[in-house]
Amino acid sequence: MSPRLIALIPAAVAINLVIGRLVAELSLPIYLDTLGTMLVAVLAGLPGGLLVGTVSQLLSGMLSGYQWVAFMPIQWLIALLAAAAAGQGGFATPWRSGLWGAACGLACGLASAVISYLLFRGVTAGGVTAISALLRTLDVPLPVAVTAASVSTDMLDKAAAFIVVGALLRALPRRVLGRFPLAARAVGR
Amino acid sequence: MTRAHPFTDGTLVLAVVALALLLPTWPATAALYLATCAVALVVGAGTAVRLGIVISLPLWVLLGVMHVILGEGPRAPFVLGGSYALEGLDWALHQGTRLAAIVTASLAFAARFDAHRFLQAAIARGWPFTAAFVLVATLDAADRFGAQAVRLREAQRTRGLKVRGSIGARLRAIPALAFPLMLAALTEADDRALALESRGLTRVGPRTALDPPPDRAADRLARWGAFAVVIAVLAWRFAR
Repeated sequence: MSPRLIALIPAAVAINLVIGRLVAELSLPIYLDTLGTMLVAVLAGLPGGLLVGTVSQLLSGMLSGYQWVAFMPIQWLIALLAAAAAGQGGFATPWRSGLWGAACGLACGLASAVISYLLFRGVTAGGVTAISALLRTLDVPLPVAVTAASVSTDMLDKAAAFIVVGALLRALPRRVLGRFPLAARAVGR
Repeated sequence: MTRAHPFTDGTLVLAVVALALLLPTWPATAALYLATCAVALVVGAGTAVRLGIVISLPLWVLLGVMHVILGEGPRAPFVLGGSYALEGLDWALHQGTRLAAIVTASLAFAARFDAHRFLQAAIARGWPFTAAFVLVATLDAADRFGAQAVRLREAQRTRGLKVRGSIGARLRAIPALAFPLMLAALTEADDRALALESRGLTRVGPRTALDPPPDRAADRLARWGAFAVVIAVLAWRFAR
């Protein structure tokens, strides 16, 4: 592991935790608690993103309960799709970022729904469960309610997160981007 | 009171998580939750019990709504009118006590976690130094960035940033809050990389712990005891 990656991992995990908390304080229907994972997956490639995702999930488990470690594969999926988007120039424009983010949200939402339904029977974080409960009052079956709530919130969240990461990458000076070839490709430079 | 070895705390938390998942009925997980609270209070992590209740409360409410009120299957009448799902009530109690035990154990571990002692213990055990460093540096960074985020938010608010109001206004606040933090992280990583390289972080070979925490017989007994209990419950579940 390079010293730059070792130094980047703690900062990226802190970004996940701190920005997640900031956005929660704004009472928005999104989380943005995976920005650090995406950023490192784009800057340093898939292995870096996987490491940040793993450490983030372990640390957030320590601070709010280890039951959420069950969602670790979602962090890995985000890292995988962010690295794939970077390789395809997926952060070159806000529209491309948004589309890649929505695709990532769809994949993550479906995977989250499986974990949420099988291990938690749909009762996890407040916002998603509130939507599931609302759908249940309309007699929607539990698996369908959990999937719909998970996919809709994740698509919104990941599209916003990809747009934010894309905007940051495009704002970086060429001098900084030059040190991260994958990031330069991600924004089409 | 003598402090336990850092690995003992970690082993006990993992044992609570494993038992919470393995125990088959809600009275058993409720007993585990009470035992976890008792141990947390005895070791001076009372805040973990209080915070655990605060974190678990919304989960209890959501479990009640989703499975007791809106649950499927046979129903029984409420005393005050209406009805509730019998199977849903059983699941809500089981899952609620299970999650409460895990949350309380996790928070008690976090409250007692001492990064320096953990790093020294990891070095003494010959763990990869990079892995131990990443964990400790992450905890440090989370605190530092948290404080930086608060300062940043206040600074942006004095420049007119709106963090209240419509969803659009709140969404527009995100870049002003997130960008400076992310840029600071990138800049800091470069500086730190140089410092770590010059201090030989990536060099391989044995390292010497300056003051490793003592690993007493009681610590080893607690770790092996927890392991034995988990194995016994696992064997009992498979034999049933």
